[in-house]
Amino acid sequence: MGASYVQRLLIVFIVLVFAAGGGLVMKWLLTPSSFGIYGHYRADAIVEEIAVPIRHGTSASCAQCHTWEGKAHFTGLHKTISCEFCHGPLGDHVADGKKIGALPVKTGDEITTLCLRCHNTEIKARDEKVIQTVAMPQHLTDQKVKPTHSCNQCHYVHAPMKYIQRAKQITGEEEQFL
Amino acid sequence: MKRRDFIKNVLNGTMAGSLYLVFPLNAHASGVQTSSKGRAVLPEQIPDMGDYDILNQEFAFIVDITRCIGCGSCCVADKREYNVPDGNYRTWVERYVKGFSDQVYVDAPNGGLDGYQRPRTDIDEPIRDTFFVPKLCNMCQEAPCVQVCPVGATFLSPDGFVLVDETHCVGCAYCIQACPYSVRFINPETRVVEKCTWCYHRIRRGLLPACVDACPTGARKFGSLKDKDSEVYQILKGPGVLTVLRKEMGTWPALYYKGARREVV
Repeated sequence: MGASYVQRLLIVFIVLVFAAGGGLVMKWLLTPSSFGIYGHYRADAIVEEIAVPIRHGTSASCAQCHTWEGKAHFTGLHKTISCEFCHGPLGDHVADGKKIGALPVKTGDEITTLCLRCHNTEIKARDEKVIQTVAMPQHLTDQKVKPTHSCNQCHYVHAPMKYIQRAKQITGEEEQFL
Repeated sequence: MKRRDFIKNVLNGTMAGSLYLVFPLNAHASGVQTSSKGRAVLPEQIPDMGDYDILNQEFAFIVDITRCIGCGSCCVADKREYNVPDGNYRTWVERYVKGFSDQVYVDAPNGGLDGYQRPRTDIDEPIRDTFFVPKLCNMCQEAPCVQVCPVGATFLSPDGFVLVDETHCVGCAYCIQACPYSVRFINPETRVVEKCTWCYHRIRRGLLPACVDACPTGARKFGSLKDKDSEVYQILKGPGVLTVLRKEMGTWPALYYKGARREVV
């Protein structure tokens, strides 16, 4: 004899209850604990994002050890340039207060390329009020130096007019820049 | 006072005085912060980030196009901060060249990572105007990328940052198609979506975003709008003309552009 009408209904009902209960258990197991605190996402993802390691310090962090360079840099015309742009990030140099590696120093043609990233007049989008630009190699001929000169043979890269200014004071030429 | 006491006092005084010369002023007085272990810590660039109420924050980013010189410092800083794989950019700098025929030519060789060393030579008409436009995440307050994410892996945080939950992203790239500003990409190593976060990890530690810190001309500015003294608050409050990109899309970006020509999209 087959199941009665009521029994069939009961079986369907029990199956539904188990399915729903199983679903609820699975939801409870699979939903991350911090999900939904602020919205439809895992709030712990914000905490994880904060934990991303910092690789760049600031120029002030460099000057804590490199005081001489810092003093020259922050009093010169290049004071707004971040140390780490030319030298590389603090994260490659210091970890937990200890030196872990030397940062490369730019030399020769690399220096000229680096300077012209900002100071090239040929790129017409550089406002005089924002930056002093030069045309190369015209600047070299104007200043009566060899065309093979790199920028840092006259300009101290941290304070570009510092020694030129000093030389002008000594030779008695008028002051053009501060 | 006895003569012996007098000499003692004078000697003590001079010794104490000379010690001030021998030992430098303490770290606080010389402007360098130190932790309890005496190790140098990073300076605070954004004030009042220690006591952080995530539900009561508002930040803005302003890009001043009139000051951008296209040096690419920001791009370099960004790539180094996150070790962004070659060929992908969390931020980049575009060069806009406008001819007298009103034709606009845009290029961004290597995203501006190498800077702009030479002018464009492939334009055969007189050039009217050249300018640089730095691009980064617009931090839309009505973000299309958040709306389309099927797994809730990208979200708008309560303090107004659009972030990606890397452990939950399935890499379906739907958000890449949804983003009107094309700031998202799939990281070929992690196989999940990555985007500019305005350096959220730095901000929460009181540091400026890496690109803002690296910008030599002040073309990139970031700050809290809750801080009435911050530069961005003063600019937003002031009379200068600020625009947002693709305003008609109703994304309500928190990134503003100052001095943007109408050609900028």
